[in-house]
Amino acid sequence: MAATAIICLGNRYVADDDVGCRVFDCLIGSAIPQGIEIFDGGLCGLDLLRLVEGRRRVVFVDALAGVADAGDIVVLNREQVAGYAGRYGHGAGLPYLLRLLPQVCAAPLPEIALVGAEGAMDEPAVRALAERSMEVAIHGAS
Amino acid sequence: MTKRIIRDIPLNRVEGDLEIRVELENNRVVDAWSSGTMYRGFENILVGRGALDGLVITPRVCGICSTTHLMAAAKALDHIAGVDLPDNAVRLRNVTLMAEHCQSDVRQSVLMFLPDFTAAIYAAHPLYAEAVKRYAPLAGERCIDVVRQTKTLLEIVAILGGQWPHSSFMVPGGVSYVPPLAELNQCRHILKQFRSWYEKSVLGCSLERWQAVQSAADLDVWLNESAAQRDSDVGFFLRFAREAGLHALGQGHGHFLSYGSLELPGDSAVVGSGAGKQLVGSGFAAKDGQAQPFDQAQVAEHVAASWYADYEGGKHPFEGETVPHATGADGKKYSWCKAPRYAGLPAETGPLAERIVAGDPLFCDLLRRDGANLVIRQLARLTRPATLLDAMETWLAEMAARPDQSYYEPVASLQDGRGFGLIEAARGALGHWVEIRGGKIARYQIVTPTAWNGSPRDHAGVRGPWEEALIGTPIADIDNPVEAGHVVRSFDPCLVCSVHVVGADRTPLRC
Repeated sequence: MAATAIICLGNRYVADDDVGCRVFDCLIGSAIPQGIEIFDGGLCGLDLLRLVEGRRRVVFVDALAGVADAGDIVVLNREQVAGYAGRYGHGAGLPYLLRLLPQVCAAPLPEIALVGAEGAMDEPAVRALAERSMEVAIHGAS
Repeated sequence: MTKRIIRDIPLNRVEGDLEIRVELENNRVVDAWSSGTMYRGFENILVGRGALDGLVITPRVCGICSTTHLMAAAKALDHIAGVDLPDNAVRLRNVTLMAEHCQSDVRQSVLMFLPDFTAAIYAAHPLYAEAVKRYAPLAGERCIDVVRQTKTLLEIVAILGGQWPHSSFMVPGGVSYVPPLAELNQCRHILKQFRSWYEKSVLGCSLERWQAVQSAADLDVWLNESAAQRDSDVGFFLRFAREAGLHALGQGHGHFLSYGSLELPGDSAVVGSGAGKQLVGSGFAAKDGQAQPFDQAQVAEHVAASWYADYEGGKHPFEGETVPHATGADGKKYSWCKAPRYAGLPAETGPLAERIVAGDPLFCDLLRRDGANLVIRQLARLTRPATLLDAMETWLAEMAARPDQSYYEPVASLQDGRGFGLIEAARGALGHWVEIRGGKIARYQIVTPTAWNGSPRDHAGVRGPWEEALIGTPIADIDNPVEAGHVVRSFDPCLVCSVHVVGADRTPLRC
C-alpha cells in the first residue's frame, strides 16, 4: 500500500458530478510518482474508509456545489469538509466519512485534503485540477 | 371541528430527491403524493452503445447497490446468450451480491432507521436516553460500531471481483476472475468475523437460535429470554417500537412481490425456500399471504402521473419508453418515478416481501396478527443477513473445494435478441430488460425497487405502496413529521446515490 492516495470521486455519467472522474483519467494517463496510488472512488462515501486507513496522506478530488466561486479550485481540510456532513442516508458522501473518521479509523489519522472544483470545467481546467491534486499529494496542502 | 390541510412535508432527511405531499385531517394523513424529483436517464444513455456496456454503466446507477445492478445487467445478457453458468460462477456472483446486502441491511437499520428514535417527540419514551446513547446520528455508540464492523464486507466484492468500486467482473457466461484459494480463505475469514459480530451485537444470539423463532409467540419468548437478546439491536428495536405503538403505522396495500434471487448451483449443500431453484423465492402475494407464481410478463410501467410522454395503461419493459415530458401543465404528473404494477396492482417489494412470498413462518404469522406495518418491514430487513450468512459460508467453502471447476462458459458475440435480468436487490425487486440489435443496445429499461415502492399513482389513479402506507399516519408536528419518516424509511427509499457532489447546504449531498 502506498503512503499517499489520490481518490477521485464522482459519476462520469452525470455532467455536474464528473470532474473527479475526469481528473482520474488525466492522472492515470500520466507519470505517477513513487509512493502515490490513484483511485477511481466513484460514488462511494463511507465505503472509502478502507482506502484511507493506514496511509500518511489522502487527497480527495471531487466537484463542489456552493462552496466557492465558479471556476475556482479550492483545497479544504478534513474539518472543513466534515462540517458539511448531515445524518446518514443514501446520499451521504465524503463529508459523512470525514466527520466520522476520527472515531472509526483503525490506524493513525492520515493527513486529509479535498481538492475541489466549482462549476463546469473545460479540459485545461481539469488538467489544472489534476496538477493541483498531485502537488497536494506530494507536498501537502499547506 | 374537522381541519384539512395539504402540505409538503420536510422528508428530505429521508432522501434528498424525494418529496412527500400529504393531506391531513385533524393531524392524520388522509392522502399522500410521493415525488421523485431527479431525472436520471441512464436508460437513454445506454441506447446505441455496445451490447456489453450495461456491465460498466449500470453499476454507477447506485453507489450502494453497484454489484446489484451489475448482477441484473449480466443476467439479462446471460438470458440473451442462452448460457447456463458454471456452478462456481453462480456461487461467486451470489456471494458478492449477498455481501452487499448484508452491509446495506445493517447500515440502513442502524444508521438510517434507528436514529429516528432519538427525535424529540420521543423524549418521554422510557427508552429515549438509551436510544440517544445508541443511535444519535454521527455519535451513537452503535452507529460507530456498525461503521467499524461493516467496512470489511465489501472487501469480499473487491477480492472475488478483482476490482472495486463499481466492478464489472460479471460477464455473460460467468465471471472474469478466478479467485485463488488464499483469497477465498480471506473472504471466509472476513465473513466469519462479520457473522460473529452480527450474532453478538445485532441479534444477541446465534443464527440458529434466531432461525428457531417461527411465530409471533416465539418472538415474545425470544425477546424475554436473555439480556443479550433484549439489548441487541433487534431486541432494542422491538422494545422501543412496541412501547411507541409503531405496529399501527405503515400498512400499505398488502401486496408483496419478489422476483426471486440467488440461483442455486447444481451441486451444492444449500437448499432454497420452497421448490424453486433460488435461495430467495419468487412470487406475488396479496393480503392473504398466499404467494402466486411470478410471471415477468405481468410487469408493466404506467406514466399517467409521471413526467414522461403519455401512453394508455401500462407498458411491459420490453415495450417501455423513457421519454421525458415535464410540462407541469395538466397537474396530474408529479414524479420522475414511473409506476410499476404487477398484474395491474401496486406491490411492495423488499425483505418483508421476500419473507412473505417464501412463506416464512415468523413473518407470515406477524402479518396475520398485526397486518403489514413498518415494524415487521424493518425487522425483516435487520434480520435478513440471518437468512444469507450460512449460504455464503457454504458457497465460499464449495468454491475452495472445487478449484478446478470453471467460472466461465464461453459466449458468442451478442448481436440480436432480448433478455431480462431479475434479482432481489437490497431494497427489493430489480429488473433490467435489454434488447440488442446489430450488436448495439436498442432498448434498456431498468425497474428499481424504489420505483415499485415509491411509485406515484398509476393509470387508474391507485396510489403507490408508500403513498398508501402513509394513509392514517398521525403527524404530531407537521414541521418534524417523524412518524411519516418511519413509514417511508421502512421501505428504504433510494433516490439520490448516483450523485455525490460535496455541497454546502447540509442537506443530502448532491447538486
